[in-house]
Amino acid sequence: MRFSARLLAAGAALSMLAIGGASAQDIPAFKGLSDDQASDLKAIIEAAKEEGSVSYWDTVIQPTTNDELSKAFQDYYGLPGFKINYTLSSTSNLITRVDQELSANKITIDVASIASPPWTLERAAQGDIVEYHSPQYEHYGQIFEAGLGKDGYFAFNGGYIFVPMWNADNLDFEGTSLKDVIGAVDPGRISHGDVAKSSSYLATFIGQRQVMPESFFEDLAKMEPVFILRSEQIASGLVTGEQLMAYSGMPTRAFQYNSKGANLKFMLPEEGVVLLPQNTFILRDSPNPNAAKLWVNFILSEEGQTILAANEALISGRSGFQTPLPEYSPAIDTLKLIKVDWASINTDDLQAARKDWVGIFNP
Amino acid sequence: MATDAMAHSDPSGRTARRSRFWRPQVIVPLVGVVIGILLIIGPFLATLIRSVLVWGEEGAAVSAANFTSLLSDPHFYQAIGNTLICSTGAMVLSCLLGFSLAWVVSRTDMPGRGWFEIANLIPFFLSPYVGAIAWTYLCAPNSGLIQNFFSDTFGISLAFLDIYSLGGAIWVLTLFYTPYVYLFVIAPLRRMDAALEDAARVHGASFGYTMRHIVIPLVMPAILSGALIVFVTSAGLFDIPLALLSPRGIRTMPTEIYSAVQYPADFGRAAAFGVLAMIVTVIFTLMQRRYLGRRNYDIVSGKGYRPRVIQLRPAGRVAALTLEIVYIGSGVVLPIIALLMVSFSSIWTGRFNSNFLTMENYNYVLFGYDLTQRAIVNSIQLALVGATVGVVLAVLQGYFLNRGPARWRAWIDAALSLPLGIPGIILGLGFLILAIRTPLYSTLAIVLIAYVARFFPFATRTVSSMFLAINPELEQSARSSGASWGQTMRLVLLPLLKPSLVAAWLMLFVIFIRELGATILLYAQGTETISVALVLLSERSFGYVAALAVIQLCLLLGAFVVFRLSRASLAQS
Repeated sequence: MRFSARLLAAGAALSMLAIGGASAQDIPAFKGLSDDQASDLKAIIEAAKEEGSVSYWDTVIQPTTNDELSKAFQDYYGLPGFKINYTLSSTSNLITRVDQELSANKITIDVASIASPPWTLERAAQGDIVEYHSPQYEHYGQIFEAGLGKDGYFAFNGGYIFVPMWNADNLDFEGTSLKDVIGAVDPGRISHGDVAKSSSYLATFIGQRQVMPESFFEDLAKMEPVFILRSEQIASGLVTGEQLMAYSGMPTRAFQYNSKGANLKFMLPEEGVVLLPQNTFILRDSPNPNAAKLWVNFILSEEGQTILAANEALISGRSGFQTPLPEYSPAIDTLKLIKVDWASINTDDLQAARKDWVGIFNP
Repeated sequence: MATDAMAHSDPSGRTARRSRFWRPQVIVPLVGVVIGILLIIGPFLATLIRSVLVWGEEGAAVSAANFTSLLSDPHFYQAIGNTLICSTGAMVLSCLLGFSLAWVVSRTDMPGRGWFEIANLIPFFLSPYVGAIAWTYLCAPNSGLIQNFFSDTFGISLAFLDIYSLGGAIWVLTLFYTPYVYLFVIAPLRRMDAALEDAARVHGASFGYTMRHIVIPLVMPAILSGALIVFVTSAGLFDIPLALLSPRGIRTMPTEIYSAVQYPADFGRAAAFGVLAMIVTVIFTLMQRRYLGRRNYDIVSGKGYRPRVIQLRPAGRVAALTLEIVYIGSGVVLPIIALLMVSFSSIWTGRFNSNFLTMENYNYVLFGYDLTQRAIVNSIQLALVGATVGVVLAVLQGYFLNRGPARWRAWIDAALSLPLGIPGIILGLGFLILAIRTPLYSTLAIVLIAYVARFFPFATRTVSSMFLAINPELEQSARSSGASWGQTMRLVLLPLLKPSLVAAWLMLFVIFIRELGATILLYAQGTETISVALVLLSERSFGYVAALAVIQLCLLLGAFVVFRLSRASLAQS
């Protein structure tokens, strides 16, 4: 036991020596920084080392992708072995957790990414999100202008869309409009994201409601959709053949299942798509605020965005970013976006929209 | 007056009473009782208080608004109606199946009945959530293994068999609650005097008539006891409705409480629901207790009575064997096969495809994913520590209830049995409300406390029944020979209690490994358990969840084997 303890101590000391010994120029994060910027970053890295870990929650990123992100993060800042506690959650569950922690004044989550812009804006207004001017924000000017982020508070690590999707092994479908979905499969063989329980499906419904008449949703309801919460479950329902069509399919999942041998297809409807930005922010009283800043900076960097786009087929909001998977995650400026003014939508509007959906679909 | 006067004039009497009270044999067991009562009262009061508080612009105010809003919501009645349908269906089917299985095992010459006697108990040890997940692989209407098998082999469509329905939930509940009735019924069936049946048959009664008018009435108290337990427990079970009914938007009481604390959270509504459900389930628990208290087996006794083994005719043997095979097949074999198939597939298409064969799912949940690794460690820690704490409490409470002062004993016994009827999710809600502003929030300790609070009565009842069988004269002899109370406990009582302590410990270990209802509201990052990880993974990948379910299954089956071995070894010793 004593020998093991000594061995561990010696290993830790050598690691520290290696980190301390590495010059700032060897660390990718320092490349291209001015002396002042490098000095600031060094101070944050030193403080993050003291903190020792960062706790990050997200609603999309698969843990295997996070493993890759974590490794790249450690290399990027020269922090080998730095602990990243990652949890994948549903949007509603994550919002519930954050709300609970805020009301209990016991914050365990440092950074969260949530695709619920009205909720995030509300939290920022209430002072629950740390004001932080990430150096990476200079690459996100276009999304701040589009109302998909808030300068000084949050940008998004990736955006995603919900669009009609099907399994080409089970269904021959060649629609281009949302209207083509109506009658494409027998009643009961289509799934729909559960708007009653999910903020991101609700946001999509709010956007689609602007471009589609109520009669369209009534016709969709007549197809007796099965309401499913998670995008992974929607995709696996298509792979098993349980459903033939998914109204709220996520191209990210098509990419992930197809890379394992499935044959999922999706369309980008001519009416447009609602882009759901995964707003990434630091919670007030976060236990590891410096490590949280490093994580936010990294995930918004070119390196972080490349990993996310390549593994999760997320749509990057970073200016000039070249998407590695254009068929699954097209560049943001090539998409026909349904414009939603999130800043003007409050909690009551959300509840009213949800009530509207429940009235039509009666889940 | 005279007595009072004497008492006042006799301070030494009070001193003697006080010194009697402070003896370790009174104080130590009393601590166990007080902890047990606090564990019940704490979350109950927290839920009750939260249910009558409403927050307005001027802060919190006492109001019945949460109750009136709940009672005027049609979803509340839908949830209650569905819960009643599920629990009543499960109760009726479990009674039919439990009685039939107990009868063929205990009273007939069915081949292999020694094996089936043990096998019938296996579902009792398995996780209902995992069972429900496995049945979604087996019987999803358009992609279940069973549906695909019949469609591919015989061209028959079984799409009407939908596991995501009230019928599906009743079926899976029945599979997992049948052992409760089976355990209640098998003992009286074994001890039943065969002369009564013989007398009926001699007077010309048919087999069916004898069953209806002799056998069933004789074991009716046991059947009803089992029925009440199945009804109360299945009404509060969160696991199966979460897996089978929530995906189709079918509301039940436990899933409604869970939904109420999800975004946008309404703790007042959840607490009001919890209080109403708690009142009903506590009433049922007390009814069951009262009923069990009056239960009487006058027909059982005497060496002259030996149960007669009925010689089945070939058709009867086939029928009995078929019943057993269907039950063990549905409750154990088919779910395990389905889980193994899915866990070894890189993607699940509803059919086993060797092209997708992989070990990656196991590699991932065991070595590649922090959360599942943490969850396995947390579950084992909780089960080891929780079972030990639960058994220590059980010994103290058992001692108090059997050797302590007779006054209040019945009331305390009734109070300590209340958690048996409180659904895990309601207890979890109570502890969440209680702990949310304390350092206990989002720690493993609060999960442990909730586990112990929910399940200590199981251990207390097991240990208490053993106390009943130990003659107090043994302890008195030890005391009169100069042994202290501690020495008497250590050298006399605890060795004699050992079989029940081992049984109670293993029972708690198994329950804690698979527990979900109380955990789902209390877990945080770092305190996930295997069952929570299963819920989180079930939202993502069939393969991962199946692999983790197989790992949990191995732990539970391992505990079952240890349970059997320890029983045999203790019986021998």
